Amino acid sequence: MADNEATVTEEEPKVLTDLEKVGEPAVPRKKPKDVHGDELTGSIKVPKVEENVANHKPYLCKPVTMEKLGFPADLREDWHDAAIAKMADLLKKYKSLQVYMDICVKCGSCTDKCHYFIGTQDGNNMPVARAELFRKVYRRYFTTEGKILGKLAGAERFDLDLLGEWYSYFHQCSQCRRCSVFCPYGIDTAEISMAAREIMDHIGVGQKYTNDIIAKVHDVGNNLGMNPKALKATLESTEEDLEEETGQKIRLPLDEVGAEVLMVTPSADFFASPHVESLLGYAKVFHQAGISWTFSSAASEAGNFGMFIGNYSHMQKLASRVNDAIREIKPRRLVVGECGHAWRVAYSFWNTIIGPFDTLDPKYKRPQHICEFTLDLVKNGGIKLDKSQNDHLVPTMHDSCNVARGARMGDKPGGQFTIPRELIKASCNRYVDMDQDTIMEKTFCCGGGGGLLTDDLLELRVQGAMPRMQAFSKVQETHGANFIALICAICKAQFTKILPKYGVSMEVAGGVHQLIANAIELGAKQ
Amino acid sequence: MAIFVIGVLFKVWKYAMTPAPLKIPQTPAPVGAGGVPVRVLSEVVIFKSLFKSNRVLWLAGYLFHAGLLLALLKHFRFFFPAVPAGFGYLDTLEFYPGLIMLAGLGLLFLMRLVVDRHMFISVMTDYFLLLLLIAIATTGTFAKHFFRVDITQVKEFMMGLIAFKPVDMPTQVMFIIHFSLVLLLLAYFPFSKLMHAAGLFFSPTRNQVDNPREKRLVTPWAVEKPEAIPVAEEAMEAST
Amino acid sequence: MSFELNGKTYETDDDGYLVNLDEWTEDVGAHIAEMEGVEMTEAHWEVVNFLRGYYEEYNIAPAIKILIKEMKKMFGPEKGNSAYLYDLYPAGPALQACKIAGLPKPTGCV
Repeated sequence: MADNEATVTEEEPKVLTDLEKVGEPAVPRKKPKDVHGDELTGSIKVPKVEENVANHKPYLCKPVTMEKLGFPADLREDWHDAAIAKMADLLKKYKSLQVYMDICVKCGSCTDKCHYFIGTQDGNNMPVARAELFRKVYRRYFTTEGKILGKLAGAERFDLDLLGEWYSYFHQCSQCRRCSVFCPYGIDTAEISMAAREIMDHIGVGQKYTNDIIAKVHDVGNNLGMNPKALKATLESTEEDLEEETGQKIRLPLDEVGAEVLMVTPSADFFASPHVESLLGYAKVFHQAGISWTFSSAASEAGNFGMFIGNYSHMQKLASRVNDAIREIKPRRLVVGECGHAWRVAYSFWNTIIGPFDTLDPKYKRPQHICEFTLDLVKNGGIKLDKSQNDHLVPTMHDSCNVARGARMGDKPGGQFTIPRELIKASCNRYVDMDQDTIMEKTFCCGGGGGLLTDDLLELRVQGAMPRMQAFSKVQETHGANFIALICAICKAQFTKILPKYGVSMEVAGGVHQLIANAIELGAKQ
Repeated sequence: MAIFVIGVLFKVWKYAMTPAPLKIPQTPAPVGAGGVPVRVLSEVVIFKSLFKSNRVLWLAGYLFHAGLLLALLKHFRFFFPAVPAGFGYLDTLEFYPGLIMLAGLGLLFLMRLVVDRHMFISVMTDYFLLLLLIAIATTGTFAKHFFRVDITQVKEFMMGLIAFKPVDMPTQVMFIIHFSLVLLLLAYFPFSKLMHAAGLFFSPTRNQVDNPREKRLVTPWAVEKPEAIPVAEEAMEAST
Repeated sequence: MSFELNGKTYETDDDGYLVNLDEWTEDVGAHIAEMEGVEMTEAHWEVVNFLRGYYEEYNIAPAIKILIKEMKKMFGPEKGNSAYLYDLYPAGPALQACKIAGLPKPTGCV
């Protein structure tokens, strides 16, 4: 960015309000010493612990948006008591939170597992240390041990400084659940960071990126803020492109009542690159299989940032748009596009929060992932793939954290790993997996998940992507890998931005259905 | 002793009663109910996740817990009128459960002192518990092997306690220290991280079946209609 | 945040995007471009003008494919591609070009 100090006039120097103190990085950032930065060696090494080297904080949410979401516009006067009351409420509502507060023995198993710790070497980014920020408060107000022993038991009063640490470190967790895999009790830091963000929102401390987007979906229907008119124009323009490319009338239908399939996909698929390449893939698959389908302007977003802020009501309300669309379109099947956390919400939560889907055909999974849908067609001959179209590519699969550890595809455990890989192998002659410790259930987050995909956290995103970049650079070296196949809109946006910072072309990132789009044989079936 | 029993039962009751509103098994997870006990037991019996994570830590933890289990089994003769069938042969094996425990505990303690990541997360109570356990294992081993506590007397004392008919306490110093420390541990148990022993069975990421599409999870507070979010509601209408 | 130009104060968001779209003039655009370190040529302006026109109609910036298609029309097929777009706006067309055009920052999973 250009040096613009001279022309930008900051507001008068003034005393910070309490809220601004919480949102302001308090300690001057110290440059991490032996962080691997943008040097790719192909190996992931566990760094030494440093304190306060990653004091990143995202922008605070503006009052107008906070109010729109039903949260206080400013830090509440009684924020301390309100926070404790909210914590008590959540402890009663979530078994996960109650149990995980009590049972951590601090064995240290998770300490070297978080990509943000490996990338920043900040001690508070070790999952147990992050959770301890929450437990300090829990112990002080909810346990006999903490009330009597205080700091000796790791209990602390919830003050403004600690709230500032909460704001920083619970926004350096992408809720990817990798730590949980290695925890002897399955303690899930995602649950704790969701609860922390829920408490912060309730006392008036919100994060701009996530909350702006939730408000936008309530207002307009999708994360991008693309209204139905713009959506229609965009789909029509994309149809023109498809016809130019293939010579065939391949449709991208919108709001067509009575379509067989209602397709719900992240709005980024309509808008951004490389997301849109997967959109072309979906369209070609439906076209060639001869199955009628439609998008819906009511449910023009698969993503659900309500999960990121741990707010049940918002998550449910955002998801209820899918029900609106089902009532309107009356489809027999419901299919979800390439989006990681969306698939977790759709697969694991939809049935509970907006189900049951009684009007949908029970012969098919409700809902179905686009990879399940396409692989079925590949297997039953509904579509044919010409692998040679992808001969210029050596793909590798980056398992999205939310799909890998929070959801499933197909009927067997682990289908979320095998089904996308089968699809890639069906559309490409070559394929290579990255190190076993970095894929499938042990996959590393891309570094931009959980509501952190914002430019005010760019430095953190680059650092957090490091483990994945190391693993990729290894297969790049050994097998000439030149394509990272993705099934998540956040991963796609993150890698497109981050790859160049590590000296890798952004073209390397793309969707699984981008490969399908390349390989699918269009035209009359034999 | 009463604190221990009531405290643990209270906590377990609390864990059991707190609802789990959403399906959050950490996948890949069992797709049928039968797989869940296997998954949970693999954590209890072989510490599967810890093994995946860190072999040294696994070894330390496993030595300690295995030693503890053996030591407890050997203590059974104090709690039952007759040694239960099958437990007698434990005595014929001249092993030292206390030493196995100490090896594990020592390693765990050492790791907190030398690994910077472990040091960063440790507070007083973490060290205290390890030291307490080390003291218990040491005094127990001493009482058994070096100071030859009168076993018959201990047994009479324990049986008396269990039957609520107090008998005079054995007077060997080593026994008194050992016994007091164990009582301290038990009293502290329900208020501390030692509750992991029970909490483990209630961890939703490990004890849930992966079948959200097939079976709708319904918990009372979580199936209500979305709460009205007034301003957003208006904005939505304005935009359509 | 805000910046001043010719005695008038312009309010921006935390990232320097103009808050009020109507305040935009070519001078304002040129000023933001200068802060961004982008030297505006005729091609740059054509992109900016297209973005503004599109935004006026649809209330959102155009999808990347639509922008590139338009550039094909404006500059011919050899320059209608994303590489050329990045030549013009190195920090990314969506972010930098929108900023200079006075459009809000596109957010979402993009």
